[in-house]
Amino acid sequence: MLKRLLMETDFEKLKSAISKLDQYKFEYHEALQVPDLEDRLSRLNVELNSAGFDRWGFHPDTLRKVAPILYFFYKRYFRVETSGLENIPEGRALFIGNHGGQIPLDAMMVGLSLFIDAEPPRAVRSMVERWVPTVPFVSSLFTRIGAMIGDPANCRELLMHDQGVLVFPEGVRGSGKLFKDRYQLQRFGTGFMRLALESRAPVVPVAVIGTEETYPSVYNFEALAKMLGAPYFPMTPFFPLLGPLGLIPLPSKVTVRYGKPIFFEGDHDEPEELIREKVQKVKEALQAEIDEGLKIRGENIFTGTAK
Amino acid sequence: MRILITGASSAIARLVAGALSPKYELVGVDPRPAPISSHFPGEFMIADYHSRKLDEVFKKYTFDAVMHLGRIRESQRISAQYRFQMNVIGTQKLLDLCKQSGVKNLIVLSTYHVYGAHRMNSLQLTEESPLRASQSFPELVDAVELDHSATTFMWKHRDIRTTILRPVNVIGKHVRNTICSMLRSGMCPKIIGFDPLMQFIDEKDLARALILSLENPVSGIFNVAGEGVIAYSHAIRHAQAMTIPIPPLVSAGFVRLLDQFSHLGFPPYLMEYFRYPTIVNDDAFRKAFGYQPKVKTLQSIKNLGPLPETRNLLPSHSGEESV
Repeated sequence: MLKRLLMETDFEKLKSAISKLDQYKFEYHEALQVPDLEDRLSRLNVELNSAGFDRWGFHPDTLRKVAPILYFFYKRYFRVETSGLENIPEGRALFIGNHGGQIPLDAMMVGLSLFIDAEPPRAVRSMVERWVPTVPFVSSLFTRIGAMIGDPANCRELLMHDQGVLVFPEGVRGSGKLFKDRYQLQRFGTGFMRLALESRAPVVPVAVIGTEETYPSVYNFEALAKMLGAPYFPMTPFFPLLGPLGLIPLPSKVTVRYGKPIFFEGDHDEPEELIREKVQKVKEALQAEIDEGLKIRGENIFTGTAK
Repeated sequence: MRILITGASSAIARLVAGALSPKYELVGVDPRPAPISSHFPGEFMIADYHSRKLDEVFKKYTFDAVMHLGRIRESQRISAQYRFQMNVIGTQKLLDLCKQSGVKNLIVLSTYHVYGAHRMNSLQLTEESPLRASQSFPELVDAVELDHSATTFMWKHRDIRTTILRPVNVIGKHVRNTICSMLRSGMCPKIIGFDPLMQFIDEKDLARALILSLENPVSGIFNVAGEGVIAYSHAIRHAQAMTIPIPPLVSAGFVRLLDQFSHLGFPPYLMEYFRYPTIVNDDAFRKAFGYQPKVKTLQSIKNLGPLPETRNLLPSHSGEESV
C-alpha cells in the first residue's frame, strides 16, 4: 500500500509546491526588512555610552530587534504614506500631533516615519502619559525606543540638546476620545508653547490620519478605569467583547502629514492668555492639516479611497 | 592641613585617604574596626558619630576640613533605629562640632536614594528635584534627614564651604553595598515586566569626585554619576548573574520571603528602585569641577570580582545609644 502511494505521488508537483512555500517565506522576510536599517541607525543623532544607551535611555539595539515588527505594521498593516517630509527642520523641534485611538499608535507612526522615511533619519522622543511607567513591559520597551513621561523638565532637556520631541497637547483627552469625536481636536495644554518659546524651537504640526479609527471606542468605562488606575477604559464593538481578539487594531490606511514649521517669538513667562493665543495658532494649523488629509483620504478608511 | 574622615573603614574612604595621605594629615573615625588588610594612613579611631568619643576627637585636634563619608547605608542587617541615630543625630553632632571648632571646609557624601523611586520622576533629576524618598519609604527618612541637615547647614553657615554630593549606585571591587553584593552573589531579584534604567559610578571615580570637591573652592549640592545609564537587565547580564523574577504585585513580600531563605541582605523598600528609574543629571558637577568619569560602566560591572577580604560588620549592639 505504501508502495502504491509512493508510486502515485507526483513528486514534481510536490516539489514545486514546496518551492512556492519557500517563495512565500522569502516575501514574508522582505515584508519585515527595513531598508538600510543599519545605515539609518548609524546616522541617528544620538550619543551612546559604552553600554549602548543614550542619556535618556534610548537603546538602538532594542530598536534594531523590534524594527521588523514595527515595520510590518508601518508598511504592510497601516500602509503609511507621508507628506511634507521636506518641512522637517534639523536640530531641535517640537512636533505637535493630534491624539486619538486609545493606544499611542499615532506616536509610533510618526516616530517610524521620521526614522524610516525622513532624510536624514531622526530619533523622535515621544512624551507619554504619567501612568505608562506603571505598566509592566510597556514601560521599559517605550523607554528603550525613545519615549519618556511628559514632564516639562524632560522636554526642556531634550530640546536644549537639539532633539526632536513629539508632544500631543490633547493628552488623555485626545487618546481616550470616542469614535464620534474623531479628528476633533480637544482642549490643548499650553505647556509645550512655553517650552518652545524658552528653547526657541520651531513647532511642527503633524497630522496623523487613520489611527483615530483603529479602536473605535463607543464608551469610556470610567469606573473600571479608576479601579485599574488607568486614565480611561475604552469599549469598542470588539473589545472587551471578543477578548484578546478585540485588541487587534482595525487596519485603516494611515497618512502622516508634516505641516510647515512655525517659529514663535516671545517670552515663555508671558501670561496665560498670550500663550493661549499662540497655542490656538498651532491648533488651527494642525486642524487645517487634518482636514486636508481627511479630504485627500476619501471616505473609505481602509483603502483610503472614495466610496 | 588636617582632615577628618568619617566612615574611615569604608572602601571609598580608604581610596580617598590613600590619594590624600602624603599631602594632608588625616584622622579617621568609624564605628567599625579598621579593615585588617589595609592600613589607614593617619590616626584611626573607633567611635559612633553620636557618641561622646567624637567630642574627644575634636578636642584633641583642630581640623581644616571634614569629609563626612560615614552614612550608614540601607541594609536589612542594620536596624533602622541605629541608622537614624548615626545618620541623623550623629550628623547633627558632627555639624555642630564643625561649626564650633572653626572647620573651613565640609564635604558630605549623601546618596541619590533621597530622590526616591517614583513614577512621577522626570528622567533627569536635577539637584532641585523634590526629595520623594521618605514620602514613599519611611525607612529612608534617615538618608533624607542627613541630606537635609547638611543642606540647611550649608545655607546657614556660608563662611564654611560646604559641598554635598549625591552619587548614584557606587560599584567597585571593594564596595559592599546592596547592589554590589547582589551583582556579585549572582542572584538579582528583578520585578517581572520592569527593567528600569540605572546609573553606576565606579569607586575610583567617586573618590576622584570627592577629592575634586575638597580641592576646588565651589560649594553647593551636586549629583555625581558615572558614564551613563544602563538597563538593570543589562547590568545583570554583564555581571553574569542570574535573574530572580519577582511578581510585581507582591514584590515587597516576596523579597522579604526570599531574604529569609537566602542571604541576600536586600531591604524590601529598595525594591521600588528596581521598578521606576531614578536617573540623576550631573551636568552641574561636571561643569563646576571639570569632572569626567574615567571608568566605563560596563568595565566597572565586569571588574566586580569576589570581595578581596572579609570585613567586620557593624557591632551587633546596634540600637543602644552609647554615651
